Amino acid sequence: MKQDLQLKLQAYLDGELPSGEAQAVTDWLAQDSAASDLLVELTNTRAALVSHESDIKVPDSREFYWSKIRRQIEREEQVAPAIKSISMMERLRRVLVPAGTVAAMMLGVMVIQQQLGQGGFAALEADGTHEDSEAFTYRDYESGTTLVWLSYPAENEFADTDTDDTLEFN
Amino acid sequence: MADMDYTAAQDAELVQASRQGDMVAFEQLVVRHRDKIYARAYSMMRNEEEAVDLSQEAWVKGWQRLVQFQGESSFTTWMTRIVINLCLDQLRKRKRQRAESIEAMEEESGGVERQMPVVMVNPTERLERAELRVRIDEALGKLSEAHRTVLVLHEFEHMEYKNIAKTMKCSIGTVMSRLFYARRKMAVLLQDLKTSE
Repeated sequence: MKQDLQLKLQAYLDGELPSGEAQAVTDWLAQDSAASDLLVELTNTRAALVSHESDIKVPDSREFYWSKIRRQIEREEQVAPAIKSISMMERLRRVLVPAGTVAAMMLGVMVIQQQLGQGGFAALEADGTHEDSEAFTYRDYESGTTLVWLSYPAENEFADTDTDDTLEFN
Repeated sequence: MADMDYTAAQDAELVQASRQGDMVAFEQLVVRHRDKIYARAYSMMRNEEEAVDLSQEAWVKGWQRLVQFQGESSFTTWMTRIVINLCLDQLRKRKRQRAESIEAMEEESGGVERQMPVVMVNPTERLERAELRVRIDEALGKLSEAHRTVLVLHEFEHMEYKNIAKTMKCSIGTVMSRLFYARRKMAVLLQDLKTSE
């Protein structure tokens, strides 16, 4: 018997054939003993399996089985809020650190400008930009000196905290 | 919630109470249906310890996903789907670890079963229930994972071909041929067990 006919016979047994095709299989079964024998075998196998699972029981006691489930539920419920609170702290850190850096730089600029104004130096320039929020530049055009302040500790992954935090160019 | 008679309550009431965090109600659901969920895991995995672990994991996931349960099917059907998916994931992991192909296994054994003569005598006839269970258990254990899974989903879970295909991520044709080979092999194995007595 060809494989497609075998599978059709099985689909007939499982009620997966459209009614038109099912009728054709019924007619075929009446004429073909090999087909009807195969149908009997498939039916017997299916019947043997019907009540099989109902006898399978959990090997552990009710209390032991449940206690592991309960512990796991409780454990995972404790972990979930902890993750949430960490992520909230992380979010806050990401907002506050750059904002704090910018605020400190602005304050620094104001202080320097105030001091320069009192000292009467005209050819001095202090510069802090949002794009490079971890650097602050001070230039003295008369003496040809440039000072660059870098934030410490550094906030980015490329920074080396062991190096000096002020560079001088002449 | 304190007034609830847990043992007399319907599943739907227990589910509702569980959704509100009542773990006693959920425990009652576990007590009622643990054997069924475990049996499904055991039929697929053929390993007691693994089946216990997976069925317990299914219950934990069930608790966590209770809000997703819409009541379109029964609670046990919903739970059974969870444990089936966990078992399939585990079988896929196992398959990757062994670097073996379920499709290859089908090719190895499928062709042989197709050619075997039909088993005309009902091999389970006049058997005691316990004896029948042992025989079927033994025969199921000799099937490949792919064949056994299709058989379990169809015979025990009563899933249609298309749903099995969706669950196992394969074609309906593959489901049909695996089911056919699995049934034929079961018939032969059960007959062998009977004649070897």
